[in-house]
Parts: sequence; C-alpha cells; structure tokens
Amino acid sequence: MDKKVYGAYLCTGCGIGDVLDIDALKSTASSAGMAMQDHSCLCGAEGRALIEKDIAEKGVNTIVVCACSPRVMQNEFNFGEDTITVRGNIREQAAWIGGKTENGEVDEFQQEVAQDYVRMAVVRAQKTQQPVPYKLETINKKILVLGGGIAGMTAALEASKAGYEATIVEKEGVLGGKANGWRKQFPTSYPYAALEENSIAKLITAVQSDARITVKTSSEVARISGAPGDFTATIKAAGSKTEWDAPAKVTVDEQEKIDKGELPDPNAGLKKYTEKNPDGETFGSVVLATGWRPADVSEYEHLGYGKIKNVVTNAEFEKLAKDGKVPAKVAFIQSPGGKEHDKDFPYCNSVTSMVALKQAKYVREDNADGQAYIIYQHMRTPGNMEMFYKGVQQDDGIFLTKGSVTGVEEQGGGLVVHADDTLLGESLDLQVDMVVLAAGMVPTTVDAPTINLAYRQGPAFLDLDIFDGYADSHFICFPYETRRTGVYACGGVRKAETMEETMDDATGAALKAIQCIESANRGVAVHPRAGDQTYPDFFFQRCTQCKRCTEECPFGALDDDAKGTPLPNPTRCRRCGTCMGACPERIINFADYSIDMIGSMVKSVEVPSDDEDKLRIIVFVCENDAYPALDMSGMHRNNLNKLVRFIPVRCLGSMNMVWIKDAMSSGMDGALLMGCKWGDDYQCHFVKGSEIANRRMENIGETLGTLGLEPERCSVRQVAISDYDKIPQMIEEFVQEIIELGPNPFKGF
Amino acid sequence: MSMNVQPDLEFIKDMKSAGGDTLKKCFQCATCSVVCPLSTDGNPFPRREMVFAQWGLKEKLVGDPNVMLCHQCGDCTTYCPRGAKPGDVLGAIRAYAYKHFGWPKGLANLASSGKNLPLLIGMPAVIILVVWIISGGLHFPSAEDFGRYGYGHFFGHWDFNLLAKNVFFIDLIILPTVALSLYAAYRGVSNMWRLMAENAGVGQPLYRPSASQFIKEFLWPSVVEIVQHTRFKKCTTNADRLKGHLPLLLSFLALFFVTAYSAFTQDVIGIFIPEMHGPMSMWNPVKILANVAAIALIVGVGILWGNRARKEAEGKATPTFYDWFLIWMIMGVGVTGLAAELFRLIGVVSVGYIIYYLHLVSVMMLFLYMPYTKFAHMVYRTFAMAFERYRESAYVKSPLAE
Repeated sequence: MDKKVYGAYLCTGCGIGDVLDIDALKSTASSAGMAMQDHSCLCGAEGRALIEKDIAEKGVNTIVVCACSPRVMQNEFNFGEDTITVRGNIREQAAWIGGKTENGEVDEFQQEVAQDYVRMAVVRAQKTQQPVPYKLETINKKILVLGGGIAGMTAALEASKAGYEATIVEKEGVLGGKANGWRKQFPTSYPYAALEENSIAKLITAVQSDARITVKTSSEVARISGAPGDFTATIKAAGSKTEWDAPAKVTVDEQEKIDKGELPDPNAGLKKYTEKNPDGETFGSVVLATGWRPADVSEYEHLGYGKIKNVVTNAEFEKLAKDGKVPAKVAFIQSPGGKEHDKDFPYCNSVTSMVALKQAKYVREDNADGQAYIIYQHMRTPGNMEMFYKGVQQDDGIFLTKGSVTGVEEQGGGLVVHADDTLLGESLDLQVDMVVLAAGMVPTTVDAPTINLAYRQGPAFLDLDIFDGYADSHFICFPYETRRTGVYACGGVRKAETMEETMDDATGAALKAIQCIESANRGVAVHPRAGDQTYPDFFFQRCTQCKRCTEECPFGALDDDAKGTPLPNPTRCRRCGTCMGACPERIINFADYSIDMIGSMVKSVEVPSDDEDKLRIIVFVCENDAYPALDMSGMHRNNLNKLVRFIPVRCLGSMNMVWIKDAMSSGMDGALLMGCKWGDDYQCHFVKGSEIANRRMENIGETLGTLGLEPERCSVRQVAISDYDKIPQMIEEFVQEIIELGPNPFKGF
Repeated sequence: MSMNVQPDLEFIKDMKSAGGDTLKKCFQCATCSVVCPLSTDGNPFPRREMVFAQWGLKEKLVGDPNVMLCHQCGDCTTYCPRGAKPGDVLGAIRAYAYKHFGWPKGLANLASSGKNLPLLIGMPAVIILVVWIISGGLHFPSAEDFGRYGYGHFFGHWDFNLLAKNVFFIDLIILPTVALSLYAAYRGVSNMWRLMAENAGVGQPLYRPSASQFIKEFLWPSVVEIVQHTRFKKCTTNADRLKGHLPLLLSFLALFFVTAYSAFTQDVIGIFIPEMHGPMSMWNPVKILANVAAIALIVGVGILWGNRARKEAEGKATPTFYDWFLIWMIMGVGVTGLAAELFRLIGVVSVGYIIYYLHLVSVMMLFLYMPYTKFAHMVYRTFAMAFERYRESAYVKSPLAE
C-alpha cells in the first residue's frame, strides 16, 4: 500500500440513527480529517456497494466503518487484502447503552460517546499499517514426537495420515510404552461390557510399517532449540550425557555471580542455549507424549505399602495379572484419606477407577470363587464407560462400596482391611489375600523438564505447579497447548487418561502440531490470535537491554543475543503484546497496534475542561473476554455510564503504562483496565497478561502519587465473559469513586 | 463395632434365581428410600438392604424386620433409575428368608422351586388317595345318598356317632398337616424374632412382656392393621392390588368362620342332633356367607393373578415360582371348592367326587406349604409388624433414656 486513501462511512441502521445526531457525527469526522458518508444499512448489499464504488473510483484503501462492533459483520466489511478496515463501535457501545431523553431529544452525553468513538476510529485508521507477515526462509514440516507409547504412536500415525512426516523418539528399547504391560484393556465398543485384548501390538505394527514415520528407540532428546517451523533437535542415546544437553535457566543476577566466580556455572561443559547444533535434526513442531510413571504410595502408613507383603499398587497388580494368576480375595483401595478427607490418591482420576474395575474382573476370571472388593470415595466412569461399570457391578463376586479405609493389617495368613462410613451403614473388616492401592499416574514433567528446550527462559515449561505438574496451559480453553508455541502435549503427560482418551488426545495434539507448522508457513499467529499476520517489531537502536520483554514474555519467544539484546523468534510469538506493554522505551510495536496508535486514540477523546459533570474515564478493555462481554451488555440494552470511553487492547499484558500517563495528562479523570482473571485458575488467554498488567498498575499508582494524583484513579477489574450483566454496575462503581475524588487537577493544562 | 464381612455367593445366586436377578444393578442412589414410606432418617430402606443383598450378607437380611414389613407396593421398582427392581429383590429376600427359617429343611427347599412342582402336588395327592383307599370310601355313592350327604360320606360312614368316619379321616389328614405347619411357623417366627432383636440391638429388653401383653399391645394391633389394609391404601403404583387382596383376606376370614361353624354344628352338635349332618340349606345365612366368600376368594385371587400377569407383560415384575405358586394354590382351592359344590347341586356324582378329591389335595397343599411359600407372609409379616411396634415400645426403649 503506497499511500493511504481514506473513506469514512457511518451506518444509521440498528437503531443508531434513532438515538444519535447523525449530522453531528459526520461533522466530527470531518473535523478529524475525514469526510463521512452515511447509509441506513451499511452491511447490506447497497451499503457495501457504496464503499466498493469508492474503492473502485476513488482508490479508497483505508476504510473507516462507524457502525456495529468489530466482532460482528467481519466478512461484510472485508474488502480484500489490499484494504484496511477500521471499525468504530457506535452500536453496542454507544447507541445501545441508552436512549433519547424524556423530551425526545438526543442525549448529549450519549452523543459525545459516539463522537469520541468516531474520532478514535479516524485516528486508528491514520495510524495503522498494512501488516506484512513474517516468513521463515525455509520451513520444515516434520513433526517430532517425544515418547513412543500409545499417545506418541497415535500422534505420529495421525500426522502421517494427514501427509506429514514424523519421528518418534522413545527412551525404552521398544515401542509401546506402559501399555505393553497391560493384560487386558477397557472395552472400546458397544456394549462396553467385556474387557478387550490388548491392542498395543497392532498399533506398533502400524507405526513400524508406516513409511512416513521414523522410530528412534533407546533415544531421548538432549535439547530442542529454534522455533516452530525451524526447531533443531539433538537426539542422544537414552541416559547419556552430552554437551548438547539443554542448559538450565540462569537469571541475570546469577549470571553476574557466575561471572565473578561466586557461583558455580550449572551449565559448565554445555553448549550455550543460543548455539545451533549443526548435526541436529530440524522439525516443524513437537508433540510431547512422554507419559507418566506410577506414583509412590508408601507415604500412607496406615495402608502398609512397603511394609506389608501383599499390599501392592495397581501397576504391580497389573504385572502380576499379566504374568499369571491373581489371588482369590482382593481389596482395591481407591482413596487413602482414612477419616481425614475423601480425596483420591494424588494423580488419580477416572482411569484409576476403571483400572480397579478391570482388575476386579481379573480376580473373577482367575478364581472360580473369586471375591473382589472395591472401596472408593469416587467412582468415575465417564461416557460409555458407565456401561462398563454397570457390567462389572453385575458380577456376583465384585463388591463395591464407598468408604474410608482406616487401615490394613496382617492377620493370620492374610490381610484385614478396615473401612468406615461405608454404604452398608457400618464399619467393615474385610479379610483378603491382597490389597491393591490405586496409585496415581505422575506425569513425567513432574520429575524433569522433559521437553529440554534451549530457551532463555529455561528448558522446562513454566509454572506447571498450578497444574500439579501436568504439561498443560489451560485444560479447557487451550487443549494440548503448552506455554511453548509449537509444543503440544497429549496422553499421560497432560492428564491421567485411558488408552481411548489418549488416542483422542494424541489426534488433537497431532492436528495442533500441523496447524502450527502451517501457520508458521503462512506467517500468521496460532491460537488464540489465529491468522494474525502482525508480529512485534523491535526498534533495536533504542533498546537498553533491560530484558523486561524477554523476562515477561509468557511464551519464551525472546532469547538474548551476545550483547543481551532481545532476539525475537516470531514463530514462537502469540502476538499478545506483553513485550510491547513491558518496554519502557516503547520500541516494540505491531503494524496495526502500536504505542503511538493507542496513545493517539486516548488523546483523541475530547475532554471538556470546564464542566464538572462531564468527567472522562478511559477504560482499556481486553479483546478476548472483557470486550465481548461489553458488547453483550450492549446487546442486552443495558444502560451504561456515558462518561467512560472504551479502547480495546490485545491483552492487558500489552498495556503500556504510557497510555495511562497520556490519559492523565490529557485531563482524563480516571483509567480502568478490564481483563481476564489471573492467578492459579486464570482465564487470561495469554496466561500471564492480566497478572502482569495488574503488577504494572500497582507501580503506576506510585508514580501517579508522586505527581500529586490519587493512585485510586487507576484500577484493574477482572471480568469473565459471562459477566456481561455485571459490567454496567462495575463501571458505575468505578465512576462513582472517581466522582468522589473530583476532577483531575491537571485538566485544561 | 465393625462388621466382619463374609459375602455368601450362593445366597446371591439364590436371590437372583428367585426374582432378584436385578439386584446387582443397584448403584445406591437411594431413590427407592426417598419414595419408600418405610424408610426413615437413620434407616434408608431399601437402599441399605440392596447393598446387603449385593454383598451377600444374608444374616443381615433375613433378620431385617423391614424386609418383612415391605408389602411390595412397587414404588421403588417404578422409580428406580437403574432397573434394579428393589421391590422384586425384597420379594426374593423374603422367599429366601422363608426357606432359611423353614423346618424341616427338606420340605422348605422342596417348596421353593418350580422344578419340584410334580412332587409338591404328588405328595398330598398320594397321601389323600391312600387314605381314601384305606378308608374304604373309594367309590361313588348313589345319587340319592349324594343328594342327602353331599361329600359327607367321602371317606365312608360308620355307626360310631361320637366321631363320624368322614371327620376322622379328614382330621387324620388335616390335623397333622396343620400341626406341622403351625410348628414350623412357630419355629421360623421365633428364630426370625431372635435375629431381628439381635440386629436391632435389643438383646436384653428392660422388661419382658407377658403373653397377654404381647398379644394386646403388639400382635392384635398388627392384625387389625392388616385387616384394615392401612398400608396397602398408601400404595400408588400397586393401588390395584388392594382390590384383590382385601376381598381375598376377608374371604379367608369368612371361610375360616364358616368352616369352624360347620365343624361345630355338624361334628359337635351333630352328635346330639343327627339332622345337623349333611349339606346346609342354601338359604342358611352361614351358607350364603360361605358362597359369597368363595366367590370373593376367586375374584380376589383372580384380580391379583391379572395384575401380576399384566405387570410381567409390561416388564415391571419378574415372573417367579414363588409368586405364582401361591396364586395357583389359592385359585385351586377356590375353584375346586366352588365346583365341587356346583356338581353336588346338579348331582353329578363322579365329577363331583373327583373335584372334591382335588379340593382336598389343594387345601392340604395350602396348609402344608404355608410356612415355606409366599403364604408364609401371613405369619412372618404379622410378627414383623408386631416387632416393629415392640422395638419402639417402652419394653425396649426406656422413655427416660432419651
């Protein structure tokens, strides 16, 4: 796009023309520098024709549409790749937030809201740029699969089916993983009644005969460097040490001490993380399927594991069953809590419930008079597995009860299990030959980084403790995703799950891995900003190497070069703009989203300097949940305070504090941030954005204090997408706080 | 106090074959306890009984008064989300309990299975036939004698007028049968009572009620309640059953009275006034009552027959020998009794005598198998209801203790 040619359009439909003064809006646009035309249905064929005519005749390429929310009618207002469309939301956030006055006149306050949105849209159009996607020089489409169990093999097969090559790296000498040890597997088809023969051998054969799959057994990954589309993996013999092992994370402070010789270098003898192994193999993306290990249950002393001979774990019992015959009277204990609590063993879930059912069946298969007791606090058999549960329950020799197991003792030649609070209404003493504890499935990521990335932020996934160590980033919102773009987790490393679930999971992860490769290939972002062509652009001449961006990036997209200047890896980037918000030098910008653009939009709001009734409050709204919630509030025709102006931001993480200063210095009376919930059960679409923004706001409060402004003028609110009916009240309360503080003393200067 | 669990797999199998085939389906949601009027806060009936049954804990079940108190209104089965049919399972438990408490064991086992039906019918048939042969009465009388004495000379006639020959032989058959039956019931009920007391933790009552106190305070109110059908009237799902059971029960009472009256007038007063022998006049109020009762009996059991058949056709009940055997026996008694009377009235000697023989067989079966078949509910349930009153009474619970 050589030169921008602007065209501004105003829609008067959907009630906009009924409550707003259209001529005044048009003259607002003119004074801002753009002549504006109006139409009663801009998204209709006739309205679009009006715009298309201007594109054809006047060469308009930058279009301002002041109408509905940018979240709707996106196809209607898409005029092709050579044009930019900027939307001013004067419907959901202006026309639909109130009505005319009692006299039937246009509400002055509401009109000012709409006029400010027109100004903002005009400024935005002036400041935005046509994005040019970032493209790697070469793109590698091979998928690296870590782990050759059910998950890994399924992922490789699914990738192969979609036409992508895959390499499986398996630590053990053979493929199959844990499933090699199962005697039988859960039913997979109607009527979900009988246990099935283990199908792992078939899967192994399928993998081995697939020309697109390479298998490397007795191997593991030393390190993975690079970025999606261009990962370099160093593969080594399992258990060996090499100079290409992934270096541990070293903070700036630690590095200083290491340099002074005060601290031993943990990475001595290892290649630096930025160094690329010339002998490494390149891959486009990675599927993490490293699975799990059986949990240790010896901490529960009352159950006697490790002390009493015939107290075993479910994994040990499976081996026993695979190798031969199991005892006739067996108690399966699903929860260790005794009287204290009803939690299951750690790292348990429905799988361990179903394993107990399966193993109870072994007891019956192997013994004519077999008796299997299952004492549970939770019996979880989701979906069709309910039918499996029903089938097992029908067995005369399988006895189920909820209950708290208070102890296991040796008595005579056997064992006695004591259980309280059972369904039988009494405490029970069960005489059995063997006790099986439902030990959980500990993901491999609990014990080691596993993924072994050569990243500045270290070799492991961050903050896995909030997911109990599972390789996860948000189970519901971001399935298979991790906080490392291009690395997708599936199977036992992501959640304790059954073979069937694992296969579904692996398919999902394989498709995610393919999506990532293809997104990198087209130079666009992956979920949640899928298709975004922009990426952060650094003006390095002014970089002070403060490292805030590299530290704060939730996805570890930035490495350091030799001088400590950020080294961007655009295909790792998810385009949240957290780096942009972090940068004190304000040198990080996107083509269509920049410090200057948002700052100018803030400044374009007209702030009356002499009217105490017309305070102005700027609200930065996260585009992911808060902005849609705000739109929904408009759709519900909730009245909204008319002193506030909303500006959408990519993520609160992209909030640069200079915008708050811009707002305050242009005389605005308050600033509010609305974004996703943060903390352990965060809803932030970029994991850390809202949390970081909140921290920055605490600091800006102090800065405002030194200027003589009340820190309370700035605040952060957490909004869920379902909070749309609470938003008007939330805004109202903040406005009332500001009204009590009084106008900004710097107003008019 | 904890319970040492020893599941009895045979017991589970037994219940499954006696109509409780669905018992393992229960997943303890307690919907049954919500709808069951017998369920109380501390005693989630029949949810708990279902888990006992699943775990094969027969000692818990056979001594559980609630199992006997359940009159199978069917609400639990109707509302069960899992198709576990708790009502039918409880029926199976009762069937098992009657067998469990039954004495002699061989007879109890015999009466509990449809496979033994030939023997169950054959034994009384042979006994009566043999007695009939021994009595020398095995021949059809003249039409005139038949008209005059009816079946009064079935076993022949002798001149010893203090005890008619017929009465002697009937007593020879029925009295030992009734004696055995009553003794078996007494034994069974006392064992059940002991077990119930043990399970309810009332081993040592504060005071022991005397026999008359027991009857007055516990047994008689229970009998009154049974006759009034108070609990049946609360049924929703099985409301139709009242229409069958009430006439049936009343007809039994009426027929008991009629039989007693007849025995007294003929065999006691008849000693002094020989005219009292022979069939009663059709217009005698007692005879009218007898005929009305006979019809009520057939109608009542017919309604129960129809209800059960319909429920089985709808899949709401499982057909079992336990349930049908009693219906068949009562129907047999009613139909042969009435038919014998009809053939007497129209004077067809041969058919009448054969039907009368069958009537005797069916009556003997009813008495003989009473303690082991569903008919046993008559005594077990009555005493369970008495126990229900007893366990809440001041004999067991000191009113001062609470």
